[in-house]
Amino acid sequence: MMWNKDKSLILSRILTITAAGVCIFIAFFIPTISEWYKYEMAFEATSIFDRSTMFLPMCITMYVCDALALAALWNLHLLLRNISRDQVFIPRNTSCLRRISWICMAAGAVLMIFGLWSSIFAFIGMAAVMFGLIMRVLKNVFEKAVEIKSENDFTI
Amino acid sequence: MPIVVNLDVMMAKRKISSQELAERVGITTANLSILKTGKAKAVRFSTLEKICDELDCQPGDILEFRKE
Repeated sequence: MMWNKDKSLILSRILTITAAGVCIFIAFFIPTISEWYKYEMAFEATSIFDRSTMFLPMCITMYVCDALALAALWNLHLLLRNISRDQVFIPRNTSCLRRISWICMAAGAVLMIFGLWSSIFAFIGMAAVMFGLIMRVLKNVFEKAVEIKSENDFTI
Repeated sequence: MPIVVNLDVMMAKRKISSQELAERVGITTANLSILKTGKAKAVRFSTLEKICDELDCQPGDILEFRKE
């Protein structure tokens, strides 16, 4: 079986849908995960606020991040759908990338706030913000590509 | 854009239809329409050469610069 770009696209779409399924599944167990993290995690990095008050902030953080992840995956789904229709360099795809970038930055901000209770999350938040920044640059490149394509299409 | 395309004027002078010119030049009627309506962002020298050849005119007869 030869691997080609169509199969790669199908794999990306399957992975996106699977990730969305995992996000929805996790949403049902957020209080359990928060409880487990609070009591069972033996090693703990430094924190500013008291560890005993972390349950509610962790639940809120996880629900918000889960919703943001679903929003990002929906945008990825739209992006992949457009690519499969051979509509790559179009303004709609640039908007998808812009939204994904802001979603990553928002998730990063939420995680950094939760870093006040568990500092490891602040580092994860910084990584998310960094990823959001990379996505933003990618969006700028894409925006320029849309402009170049439009010029190319209108060259007779 | 300060570049004005006077292709339709030249076509009327030569009494040639869009479809006929498009066929002779080797471009689609849709692309010729883009060129005629001034929506085009660039014209290839090869296209311009063929249009001038078919209409028996100079590039200046088709393209005009008007200060905004």
